[in-house]
Amino acid sequence: MDATAAPRTQVDSRGSSCPGPITDLAMAYRRAKVGDEIELWATDPGVKPDVRAWAAKTRNEIVSIEDQPDKIVVIVRIVRR
Amino acid sequence: MGVLAMKRILIVGGGTGATMLANMLDKRRFDVTVLSKSRAHVFQPAFLYVAFKHGNPNIVRDERRLLARHVRFVEDAVTRIDLEAHTVTTAGDARYEYDAVVVATGVTTDPSQIPGLTEVNAQFGDYHTNVVQAQKVWAALDSFRSGTIVLGQSTPIIKCPPSPVEGILLAEELIRRRGLRQKTRLVFITPFPRAYPAEPMNEIVEPVLRSRGIETMTFFDVDRIDPETRTISSIAGDEIQYDLPIIIPPFVGAEIAYEPASVLDANRFVVTDKQSLRIKGFDDAFAIGDATNLPTSKAGVGAHLEAKVVARLLEGAPAEFHGRTHCPMDLAYGLGTFVIGSYTAPVLKYPPNRLNHLMKAMMGHIYWVSLRGTLEPVFDWYFARTDPDKVRQAGEVAGHA
Repeated sequence: MDATAAPRTQVDSRGSSCPGPITDLAMAYRRAKVGDEIELWATDPGVKPDVRAWAAKTRNEIVSIEDQPDKIVVIVRIVRR
Repeated sequence: MGVLAMKRILIVGGGTGATMLANMLDKRRFDVTVLSKSRAHVFQPAFLYVAFKHGNPNIVRDERRLLARHVRFVEDAVTRIDLEAHTVTTAGDARYEYDAVVVATGVTTDPSQIPGLTEVNAQFGDYHTNVVQAQKVWAALDSFRSGTIVLGQSTPIIKCPPSPVEGILLAEELIRRRGLRQKTRLVFITPFPRAYPAEPMNEIVEPVLRSRGIETMTFFDVDRIDPETRTISSIAGDEIQYDLPIIIPPFVGAEIAYEPASVLDANRFVVTDKQSLRIKGFDDAFAIGDATNLPTSKAGVGAHLEAKVVARLLEGAPAEFHGRTHCPMDLAYGLGTFVIGSYTAPVLKYPPNRLNHLMKAMMGHIYWVSLRGTLEPVFDWYFARTDPDKVRQAGEVAGHA
């Protein structure tokens, strides 16, 4: 493991559509510190526009949004808190 | 089967899930004990009407009268659940052993997580904690004459996801009926990207809020409240000033120590398998209702359907929870809808009408009877009839898009 990597919290929101993965992301953000990364797993495709809107609003960074066969993996970096 | 072979089931909690499960279990096969910190069983959905309609506060029954006669009820607060040793310890220093344990301890509100919220909730009340708090909301609305009402949930996790929207809509109806609408600004704050977190239901809710002149502030995850300047600030840096704040506090799981401690998440919710409802890593321990970390709505219907799954599993029958939600939503002025979805079916865009509102009111009337389990055939029929996949396939929600 890269010793310089940012601390990353993994959040599994697969199977969640109401209220949805954005709940889990927002809860993880409440506990996060600047420099942390949050890796969010979701199956609800609505996660993509929601995360983009969330990042724009909170002025945090989206590292990647990746479609995998069984899930969508979103990584955000906390730069403001 | 002899008495000695009876399986000892310990149910911790005394709400919807605990009561239904206890009453569903076959008395010839199970020795059932319900351990709850209080004998007061509260019909919590009525807090909304106590707060916004001055509804009847007589919504408490004695748990002992709601349980079947063969169920043992003990009023004692559980302090520790040792899943490795199969024991439960109480504040009264009693120790219970079990063959299977079911955690149904619900959630409690915790305003202390948000600076300023304890003070605000103490003064203006809230409609998720208890009857007294809900009555404070009514008192605050009753004496309100003009200014800004700000209403919303403080953090993303909530018991009863439709309740914030219900609160602001009922507040608007009350204010309008009192002739104060022109002198009142109504602001709905939500930590989500839209007024209702699930997009299809938002397509119903957002136009309703707009048509009633309610402003919505999205991504408003409450960071702190300053009661001096009457200002609520969000984590993202937005601010709103209030005259009357009705702020739903954060929710946490019961204060019970677990062995291993790893079965609790950061909010003290029990880490539970989505389908089998078993507590992570244990075959003989289950969790149901609001106490779990399941990615589904914290609501009575979940506790009900989960109790049913656990009852079947305890009986040795195959069963799985599919994450079904079926939450009534009061849209005020006699209109209602339902939030219907599951782990695999996205929430339906279910049309608002008077019948749905009537059904919500009816659920309040049949609640106490339904705890007995005798209405299960009716519920089975109703939940099958409103299965989200079937409703969508039948096109019953089309035309309201």
